[in-house]
Amino acid sequence: MKRNKPLALVAGAALITLAACGGGGGDDEGSTGGTDREFGDQGAGTKDEKLQGPAEAIEGATEGGTVTVYVAGDPGPNSLDPTEGWSVLGNSIQQALTSRSLTQYKRGPDGEPVLVPDLATDLGTPNEDYTEWTFTIRDDATWEDGKPITGEEVAWGIQRSLDAEQFPSGPGTEYSKAYFEGGQDYNGPYTDKGKAYDAISFDGQDVTIKMSKPFPDMDYWGAFMAMGPAPLGKASQPPNYGQDPLSNGPYKIEKFTVGEELVLTKNDQWIADSDPARHQYVDEWIFKFDQDQAKVDQIMLSDNSDSQTAIATSIGSDKYKQANEELGDRLVQQTAQCVSTLTPDYTKITDINIRKALAYAYPYNDMWLATGEVPGVTRVPANSVMPPGMAGKVDGFQPDGEQITFNPEKAKELLTEADAVGYQINMVYYETDPLAVAGQKQLTKGLETAGFKVKATPIQVSPYDIWLDPENKINKTLNLRGVNWCSDWPAGSTMLPPLLKTGAVYNTAQFSEASVDDEMDNIATLPLEEQADAWGALDEKIMTDYFPIIPTAFRNDLFVFGTKIGNPSGDAALGAPNYKDFYVMQ
Amino acid sequence: MSQPTAPETLGSLSDETPVDPNSKQAKAIAGRSPMQIALGRLVRDKIAMVCAAVIVFFLVVAIFAPLICKLFGVSTDTVFASQYLDMLGGGMPLKGPPNNGFDPEHPFGIAPQSADDNLAYWVYGCRTSLTIAASATLFASVVGIAVGLLAGFLGGIVDKVLSFFIDLFLTIPFLLAALTIAPILNDRFSLNDNYALIQKFSLVAVLAIFGWMGMARLIRGEVLSLREREFVQAARVLGMPTSRVLIKELMPNLAAPIIISVSLMLPAFVAAEAGLAFLGIGVTSGASWGQTISKAVKYFEEYPLYLWEPLIGVVLLVLSLNLLGDAIRDALDPKTRR
Repeated sequence: MKRNKPLALVAGAALITLAACGGGGGDDEGSTGGTDREFGDQGAGTKDEKLQGPAEAIEGATEGGTVTVYVAGDPGPNSLDPTEGWSVLGNSIQQALTSRSLTQYKRGPDGEPVLVPDLATDLGTPNEDYTEWTFTIRDDATWEDGKPITGEEVAWGIQRSLDAEQFPSGPGTEYSKAYFEGGQDYNGPYTDKGKAYDAISFDGQDVTIKMSKPFPDMDYWGAFMAMGPAPLGKASQPPNYGQDPLSNGPYKIEKFTVGEELVLTKNDQWIADSDPARHQYVDEWIFKFDQDQAKVDQIMLSDNSDSQTAIATSIGSDKYKQANEELGDRLVQQTAQCVSTLTPDYTKITDINIRKALAYAYPYNDMWLATGEVPGVTRVPANSVMPPGMAGKVDGFQPDGEQITFNPEKAKELLTEADAVGYQINMVYYETDPLAVAGQKQLTKGLETAGFKVKATPIQVSPYDIWLDPENKINKTLNLRGVNWCSDWPAGSTMLPPLLKTGAVYNTAQFSEASVDDEMDNIATLPLEEQADAWGALDEKIMTDYFPIIPTAFRNDLFVFGTKIGNPSGDAALGAPNYKDFYVMQ
Repeated sequence: MSQPTAPETLGSLSDETPVDPNSKQAKAIAGRSPMQIALGRLVRDKIAMVCAAVIVFFLVVAIFAPLICKLFGVSTDTVFASQYLDMLGGGMPLKGPPNNGFDPEHPFGIAPQSADDNLAYWVYGCRTSLTIAASATLFASVVGIAVGLLAGFLGGIVDKVLSFFIDLFLTIPFLLAALTIAPILNDRFSLNDNYALIQKFSLVAVLAIFGWMGMARLIRGEVLSLREREFVQAARVLGMPTSRVLIKELMPNLAAPIIISVSLMLPAFVAAEAGLAFLGIGVTSGASWGQTISKAVKYFEEYPLYLWEPLIGVVLLVLSLNLLGDAIRDALDPKTRR
């Protein structure tokens, strides 16, 4: 999932994170307060297919009040069309408040995400080899106009996700098209108008999806709002539908100004009994996009009447110390299920010792400091591609024996061993962002201390525009790139293949090993309960045997809550504030 | 009847005491050129002298930047940030301001987040500011004077064409053009080893290209009135080539407006350079006051010194240049004296 983070915050060698979502992870949730914030062990995500509405009441919750959410440096979604949504910010808001889908996540007792039913009565019924899934849509779910949601509308909504022309940045382009039967040839109901598509069928309230290959993660994919209903026919015609989509969650859209503001009010047609995880305590939500971080920090730290019922989705690193001392439980740290990496070109840097030397030459703490992160808080050391808390991740393994830290002597030894002292590294940095420039200075210094030569080319477009374009003349000269990746759901299948399979778009390392590709294909055919461990084992094997990618950090977010926001907590599934469970203390 | 020592007057128009033209004092006055008179006025202007001293100080700082850095033992080299900064304390320096006392190793303190030395960046920022502003002023005024002279003196079709270009360049929004040119240059030259130098040259070019029109208009207007004067017509009647008329006859008479507009152009370019750097265009690698200001803005509460240093540099330099420019104008053109 794309992460529309401000460039300034994600800066460095790798800029914008793509892909997020997924889950698995309780952390300390900021409950320690004070100055020591440590990461607890991450609990893996679970499922509860029996959970039924209404959602368990939050202790002490009261109704009423208006909550203002300040989103700094992120312009927010351009369109609210559920089929189009594939960003952490947009999905976290809409999936929690306005747009229901087949399944959803609920925050478990330890903060871990639990996959529970949403519009479907359970988590779906697959056939034996996961090539056909059937979901039964509940009878009591309604639209904001009071009409019941039918199986036909859900099937239509799901069918829309196959239209890559109308929804080029929608998640359907990655999953629906790859897994649904005939998805590659069918261009969706708008582009291929009138063409029959029978992989998605409905019978009353039963919706059946046929797959072209085994898709055991369909229940997770069902938690995307793209796997939800849409009104039939012209009513849901893009792009107009994206400005005011019909809501079916506890809130409906009152006002939406792209890049500025989203106002949600109570949807009185929503039936609490039909929803196992959402609440409707707050009267009104106001989301303010593209705010100035310094301004937001001032508002949140001032604790005046405006900020008491406000939430901020980030805090400036310069204010972290003050916030940590003053806010206590109201500063919440949430794991983002993301990894930041450097990707040495596997076709150019063929010696594993040089790749390891790069990992030892990366000045971790200095980079985080210079790019405006809080070392150990918003960025923590990483050991492999799969983030902590993902099911199957092998605990505590280190690709090189112990945690790789900045160690130029060790890097020099490795370089000497590889007979590559003075090895030339070519990379790019985003010169428009002062933080990226500062980060690059630190990185260059680190690499040069370790005996590399560095040529860093300044660019004024997103590095991804360079890295992902095989014809780009600058890209052809590079041998070190990067990518930030977040899981779409807590399974290795959303981390390893997109980054390390031969020919994958975001495989900026150009990594290609037939045995690894085969193993990835093989895992998808294993029984479901064995898959998680198989991904974990493959993760360890790739890092130990090939070390094709240098994981530089696992990422965390910091949220700030006003004094009158009840139940301050994070949503581990999306790495966002847990909008489903907030209330305003009266 | 004896001759009085002083000629009879009906009263004095000036409030200065009448001086006997035959006395020694009067002879000394008679021997001074208009420039000397102006200079004399300037030297007597206290504000102008203070400003000149400030400007000389900045010039010395800019010219001897490497020596000054050596003297204080600081440099613009990148250091590992984590060795000097408090990682959990918002990236604030462990030693020196804002949380601790004076740090002799870094007299101006170090920057949060990156641990760059503030003094070194300030000194080199001054150098960047002055080189870019001075070169842009040089180019802009040479172009402006040439265009103004030609347009005003030749008149006719040449004047029409040149005036059209003056108007055309005045219509192009400066900021917009600067914002557009930066990525184009980057795309073209980013793989070049001299990218930083090219960036500086392009910044000078952008500033000059959008800075010469005022000068050209001013000169053109002056020339239009001058060319009808007898001495110019005499020169033409004598058959002097146009170039000689322009350079020998007209230019000396234009010295005052040229000096005035140059002295006011310089501070405008210093401010423009800082402004562009603040917006993230212009000099992106290397030191620049504008860039330091843009980084320091968010620290105005925790680390005000970090913001004040470049800010005082820019304000002091621009203010001094402006006041000195005003003083020069007053000195050269006493009619406008307040």
